[in-house]
Amino acid sequence: MPDASAVSIRGLSKQYGKLIAVNNLHLDVAPGEILGFLGLNGAGKTTTIRILLDLLRPTGGQAFIFGHDCQREGLHARSNVGYLPGEMGIYSDLTGFEVLDLLAGLSGGPVDRTRRRELQDRLGLPSSDLRRTLREYSTGMKRKLGLIQAFQSDPLLLLLDEPTEGLDPLMQEAFYTLIAETKRRGATVFMSSHVLSEVDRVCDRVALLRKGELVLLRAVEEIRRLASRRVRVHLAEDGSPPPDLPPGVQMMETAPRLWTFKVEGFLGPLLEILRPFPVKDLEVVEPKLEDVVMQYYREDHS
Amino acid sequence: MSGRPPFLLLAYSLKRMRTILLTMGALLCAFQILMVAVARAVERSGGFAQLSALIPPFARELLGPSIAMFLSFAGIVCLGYFHVAVMGSLVGLSIAVATVPASEVETGFMDLILSRPLARHWIVTRSIVAAVLSIALVLGLMVLGTWIGLETLAPSGAARPSVSLIGSLALNLGLLLLCWSAVALAIAAAARRRSVAGASAGVLALVAFLLDYVGRLWQPAESLARLSPFRYFSPFDLMMGGRLPLKNVAVLLGIALAGFLAAYVLFSRRDISH
Repeated sequence: MPDASAVSIRGLSKQYGKLIAVNNLHLDVAPGEILGFLGLNGAGKTTTIRILLDLLRPTGGQAFIFGHDCQREGLHARSNVGYLPGEMGIYSDLTGFEVLDLLAGLSGGPVDRTRRRELQDRLGLPSSDLRRTLREYSTGMKRKLGLIQAFQSDPLLLLLDEPTEGLDPLMQEAFYTLIAETKRRGATVFMSSHVLSEVDRVCDRVALLRKGELVLLRAVEEIRRLASRRVRVHLAEDGSPPPDLPPGVQMMETAPRLWTFKVEGFLGPLLEILRPFPVKDLEVVEPKLEDVVMQYYREDHS
Repeated sequence: MSGRPPFLLLAYSLKRMRTILLTMGALLCAFQILMVAVARAVERSGGFAQLSALIPPFARELLGPSIAMFLSFAGIVCLGYFHVAVMGSLVGLSIAVATVPASEVETGFMDLILSRPLARHWIVTRSIVAAVLSIALVLGLMVLGTWIGLETLAPSGAARPSVSLIGSLALNLGLLLLCWSAVALAIAAAARRRSVAGASAGVLALVAFLLDYVGRLWQPAESLARLSPFRYFSPFDLMMGGRLPLKNVAVLLGIALAGFLAAYVLFSRRDISH
């Protein structure tokens, strides 16, 4: 049993009849790590999260939270987990305060009013809003309420299913700050997201699922290094591009005084072939996580 | 796990249902007072004897001696405990209370509840306790209405129904409702939609009611009618002075226990997905 990991998934599978939602998934998340769990709709992200919470029963394999089997020792496994579902299913006749009190009470611990108030302030959900029933809430307000209930007991593990869905840019910023603080206090975050810029910004590692299978598991930095860079070459006068390019260099666009190359690896070979040309300026566009992930998504789609 | 979270969940469930439970209880309480008022009016006008005389001999033979009991002050007062409309609405209420878990799964609220360190069996236990308390509250208010009506409106010379008769009728009805709560809870424990669970339990109750009805009127169907829980609700025997048969209590309790057990098993094994 992998004790050292915050989340440990061993050969996890979930099948619905003939449909394979998750297939032989192996994954470890270290304590204090922020993992971005990516994949197109139906890739198996939510299914995996729901198995971790013992809402779904796997057809194969095991999942552990802090060394506790999510199915056999579910109560221990969930004793220090904050969960934000993709959709907040709450009865509309309850007030925000009632929801927060009930969910804090079900967690078994005392309600830390100071912490809750702090989260309210940061996410812009004042007490006057929490006194209203949920039928008066907008999608964004429900999302904020969801974030407060997930974070209010300062759990050691946060399972967040598309956390910024429905949040305005200011609140997204507040959420990123919250995540950074969560990491500083040593908590682990396991979040699914479709917003690649967000994953690029807040996550340490990325796990990408495709049709239930893990196809990419790397640190965000490493993925950026994997991606090819774009180099835009501005010329002082009109010129024809070099006919032969070194390996790893590919011509993307040509204009009389602007050439764009895609470069994998070091820039040296490109600089070497540019020596005879009247180069006025060189612009290197740093790769983004998105460049790599989108490629996987396109492959998935095709 | 401390004991507090399950009680918190129960308190929350009861709080959400309080309006419908209190409304239903108040309506039945008022209905019973009204029935006493009706019985008093008939009693004072000497209408029971006239009504009895109007019944043709063949009908008197068909209905047996129980007809005399129903055409009496006590008969009218007790009518609420086995009136089809009252029974139908109470069975409907029991089904509504018992299908709450399916509603929580459907809305996604169950995800939030079960993502906490709360064992699944508490969801079923909560629903059983909520069903028992709901039935007790509504029937309690019904009995209270009967008592208020009798104390304030009953004519001095009228033959009032005994406390044990009212108690037995309420107990038998309560067990019948508990039985349908259990059936509905077992269905809800496996369902993803409350409407499906509620409709299934409702249709089953209707079929069982009709089966019992046919079985009482048509001899060949009698053996099949034993499958209906309504067969074990015997207000007529009670009205005739009989005691609540232990067999009826045992069968209704047995169905209830089997339903609750099935709910525990089904809910513990299911996937929570909406």
